Amino acid sequence: MNLQDFLAMEESRDRDELIDLRSLDLVSEYDSHLMCPICHCPFVEPVRLQCDHVFCGSCLSSAITAFRSADSDEFPCPSCRNPTQMVSASVPRLLINMCDEIRVRCPLITEGCQEIIPRGHVQSHVEKYCGYRLLPCPDDLCDHMTRSKDVGMDQKCIHRVRRCSHCEEDVLEHEYEEHEKELCPVLEVTCVDCETVVTRAALREHIESCPEVAIPCTASKYACPVKIRRADIAAHEQNCPIVAMGPYFETQNTRLKSLESSMRHLQQRNEIFEDGLANIRSTLIESTRLGSGSNSSGQSTQSDREQQSSARVDVHTDDPADIAASVFSSNATTYLLSLHESLREEVSQLSHAITDLDARASMAIMNESMRIKEDMAHTNAAVNSVRMQVQWLMDPRLHQGTRGGAVRTNSAENEGTRTQLASSVAGPSHTVGQSLGPIRPRRPSDSGREGTKL
Amino acid sequence: MGSIKRISKELTELTQSPPEGITVELVDESNVYEWRVIMDGPEGSPFHDGKFLVKLSLPTEYPFKPPTVSFATKIYHPNVTNDDKGSMCLGMLRADEWKPSSKIAAVLQFARQLLAEPMPDDAVEGRIAEQYKNDRMRYEEIAREWTRKHAC
Repeated sequence: MNLQDFLAMEESRDRDELIDLRSLDLVSEYDSHLMCPICHCPFVEPVRLQCDHVFCGSCLSSAITAFRSADSDEFPCPSCRNPTQMVSASVPRLLINMCDEIRVRCPLITEGCQEIIPRGHVQSHVEKYCGYRLLPCPDDLCDHMTRSKDVGMDQKCIHRVRRCSHCEEDVLEHEYEEHEKELCPVLEVTCVDCETVVTRAALREHIESCPEVAIPCTASKYACPVKIRRADIAAHEQNCPIVAMGPYFETQNTRLKSLESSMRHLQQRNEIFEDGLANIRSTLIESTRLGSGSNSSGQSTQSDREQQSSARVDVHTDDPADIAASVFSSNATTYLLSLHESLREEVSQLSHAITDLDARASMAIMNESMRIKEDMAHTNAAVNSVRMQVQWLMDPRLHQGTRGGAVRTNSAENEGTRTQLASSVAGPSHTVGQSLGPIRPRRPSDSGREGTKL
Repeated sequence: MGSIKRISKELTELTQSPPEGITVELVDESNVYEWRVIMDGPEGSPFHDGKFLVKLSLPTEYPFKPPTVSFATKIYHPNVTNDDKGSMCLGMLRADEWKPSSKIAAVLQFARQLLAEPMPDDAVEGRIAEQYKNDRMRYEEIAREWTRKHAC
């Protein structure tokens, strides 16, 4: 049949009532060739393709829907990818028989059925023969389910509850007989050892204290083989040498235990130390391999070693109780230390940079100030030369003025206005003369510089 | 669902009788679609002694859609992408070459075989493939170093 027909047929098949053969618990081994390559279970309703590959019908139909491109009439075989158009339902009878032969557990094992049956019979077993199949209770008023084996010939409901006349307990109808004869706690039983008669409820308690029950000597855990009546055990324990040794054994045991635990601690510590040693060794090897090349690498190994040793110090100080944790913490410490180291390096770099900058800035300032100083000296010199020139220009006038003034005062005494005028003219020249006075001694050097300047 | 049944069946088979150098477990016990695989580097390859963590994720349509295989451990190999995904290029895992009859065990064994014998003509890392073809010594050296660095 072609793919369309096959898909339609698979779709129309009603699987609700059927048992899922794939979820069965297989008991017997089966040949791997009987396994469907898609669901990896023995074939269920197998079909065959043109290329002779066999699959479960349902698996093939899902494969077709997954692989066929948009309603084309062919699809690749899930095993060999050969394009396929036809599906054949005729599979060798032999194959089906072999699959049906595989032994499986009854799916009602959850209800208690222990039966192992050929897979081909599972459907009919569950439907007809299995005693653990759940059926609705024959009584229409009762809504419980009953196992088919519990439904008796008389078809009566077993879920009715009956009260036990002895112990006042509610018991199901079909279990009542058993309860009354064997299980009721009010029933009296005889102790097998001392032949006292007690009730079922009190039996357990009685056995705990029955003097006839054989119990082991208290030193049985230290290999005393004696097991005698409770009544005689006290007498035995008085003489039993092993009981006498008991406390000694006890202390030995506790000592052994504490020694073992301390040994375990020591072992752990040892492991940690070995780890540390290996670490150190590896860093050493690394450093030698890097060679005695640059100084900085040498320094870094040095700091590495310091880290290692500090990590080891951490381990030393650790309480042996959390040595396991310290393995991690020492790792973390190493990491933190390396982080710290790198930060410190960075800080020192920064401080270097700062000092460098500082030096450069002060250098620049010095240069600038020297330039300014020179400029100022130049200006000073210029001012001086200007002053000299002014003085030189003023000198003859001053001489003239004073000479004229003297003549006039000598010749005409009462010409007040004129004198005033002259003194007003002479005033400033006097002040200039006075102010020049104290500068005079500096002149040689000034003139020297002036000379070079001019 | 049919896929869960088949997947758990394959998982039981793989955990009970694991193929050489491969151990599988679920990432999360409640999810059968995500597997964590530890693959030992095959002997005679530069990956020898390395333990590679491989993530195998199965689509819900499995076995009708192929699973995807990716290396969580970094590996220097022409057929494994050298990024965070570490996805592996396997011919049989391509959608148009995948066969539902292929088993996960076969996929994993094939992947391990690929570690021993890379397929430079089918590479995803062209540079490594080139090196594998022309300078085998250097390739093995780097692969060994990566294995030592990442997979030990």
